[in-house]
Amino acid sequence: MASIDIPDAASRRNKLVALLLNAGAVKKVVVLALVCIAWEATVRLLEVNRLLFPPISEIAVKLAHGLGLGGTGELWSYVWQTLSVILQSFAISIVIAVVVTGLAVSNNWAREFLSVMTGMFQPLPSIALLPMAILWFGFSRESLVFVVVMAMIWPIASSLTVGFATISPTLMRLGQNYELGRFAMMTEILLPAALPMMISGLRVGWGFGWRTVVAAELVFGATGTGGGIGWYINNSRLFMNIADGFAGILLVIIVGLFTESLFRMVQYFTTHKWGTENF
Amino acid sequence: MVAVLQTMHADARSAGTVSTDLVEIDHVSIAFPGSRGRGTVVAVEDVSVSIRRGEKFVILGPSGCGKSTLLTAIGGFIPVSGGEIRVDGAAVRSPSMNRVLVFQDFGQLLPWRTVVSNVEWAVGKRWPKMPAPERRARALHYVELVGLGPQADQYPNTLSGGQKQRCAIARAFAVQPEMLLMDEPFGALDAINRERMQFELNRVWAAESERVTIAFVTHDVNEAVHLGHRVMVMSRGPGRLRALVENPSVGSPPHDGAALKLVEELRELLKDK
Ligand SMILES: Nc1ncnc2c1ncn2[C@@H]1O[C@H](COP(=O)(O)OP(=O)(O)O)[C@@H](O)[C@H]1O
Ligand SMILES: [Mg+2]
Repeated sequence: MASIDIPDAASRRNKLVALLLNAGAVKKVVVLALVCIAWEATVRLLEVNRLLFPPISEIAVKLAHGLGLGGTGELWSYVWQTLSVILQSFAISIVIAVVVTGLAVSNNWAREFLSVMTGMFQPLPSIALLPMAILWFGFSRESLVFVVVMAMIWPIASSLTVGFATISPTLMRLGQNYELGRFAMMTEILLPAALPMMISGLRVGWGFGWRTVVAAELVFGATGTGGGIGWYINNSRLFMNIADGFAGILLVIIVGLFTESLFRMVQYFTTHKWGTENF
Repeated sequence: MVAVLQTMHADARSAGTVSTDLVEIDHVSIAFPGSRGRGTVVAVEDVSVSIRRGEKFVILGPSGCGKSTLLTAIGGFIPVSGGEIRVDGAAVRSPSMNRVLVFQDFGQLLPWRTVVSNVEWAVGKRWPKMPAPERRARALHYVELVGLGPQADQYPNTLSGGQKQRCAIARAFAVQPEMLLMDEPFGALDAINRERMQFELNRVWAAESERVTIAFVTHDVNEAVHLGHRVMVMSRGPGRLRALVENPSVGSPPHDGAALKLVEELRELLKDK
């Protein structure tokens, strides 16, 4: 029973850095640089109409200005608009998914309800509900939240269902043995045990939500009652500020990558540390 | 030393004013619904036996003879289909912290808690009002008692199988239950570790003033003789009580003459069908 040595703090930090850089970081940077150079060169050498397809350098400058480097920093407020919608929807989706899936653990009807609903709505791109949402809630934030929740909730719920279903009977018995009530069983056994599945569900859910909210804002943008990053991109087209539009698109990509690495970080400090990661 | 402890134990038992029987298993049968919903599978049939307060009681039998079923029924995790199980005179209806189950499965620790925090969690469930420092001190005491002091802050996934079982045992003893129900806790360990853990279990049980009643399930005859004051032998298909054997050589080294003789005897009982 030799003690297993624990990685010290320094090597942990190194591992974390490696994780964030995603191992093949150097190659990725090289590829990215080559793409940028090719873009810049193509636009300049072939003398493409810059109004329609600006060189990457111009876009980079716009992006920097938009984020406050020698400019107004207006992009922050657009991104925040979008993020606040998606964060609110995320919170709502998680609460509903946990409650409904929690009920489904012990109740057959709730389980059937959940499985029917998930089966129906999972394949539906929730953006298709936007016209109805506009009818019900008007061109409001509520409409956005509605479609985003409808995008997020199903992948979260179905991953939680799988997570709960695969919890070892031993852990359930442990909970019974220590006389846990329903709520404690949920928070102290079911949720932490289902966390590996939950994280992947949250990741997928967030991804769906992020696509949906940007798409919904594009539609809103056409009517001029928006304010998020999708609206900004559409507006840039209206006023022929194509570089701004591209800057907006880049920002959407950057935010997506950033949240993805946040999820990886959460995973690193929880399921990876506990050895319960399932992928 | 072992002999002295044993006589002390015997004295405590005979001098007790309360009933010497903690668990009464009274004509108990346990059946499961058969596969494809048809009929029933009888796992335990008409077993009557009592477990004395403060003894280590071994349930021995071939695999599939209903040992786990009987043990989990004592724990209150599954209902009996006939007869009654009484603990302290009251029929068992549901699981209780007074009867802590220790599994063979290494997955019985909460993977998201460290060794000491697993024990702390259980202590917190048992005594919700206990202040955190006291809870921690108590948890550490038991972690050290099972020899896991150096691993106290490690997560279960960094422990060996034997260390995980030690942690589970520390957690079970830390809540001071009236009774420990152990279902082949060392069954998945290699032979050397298994013997060491048997020795350790005897040691921890003695360190806890031989107070805790233990029902220990095993299919290993040597383990039964090493651990059990009494050994209940079960036969298969359906699970019945075949014999109840007193074991005066409990805790003695494996090559002890009397112990070897009992091992042979039990082996015969298991073989004969
Ligand atoms: N949940 C269950 N459903 C149906 N049959 C079961 C169940 N649990 C155990 N059995 C059956 O009961 C019998 C005894 O099982 P068990 O108590 O696990 O045996 P042991 O622990 O002695 O190996 C076996 O035939 C087994 O198939
Ligand atoms: Mg068994």
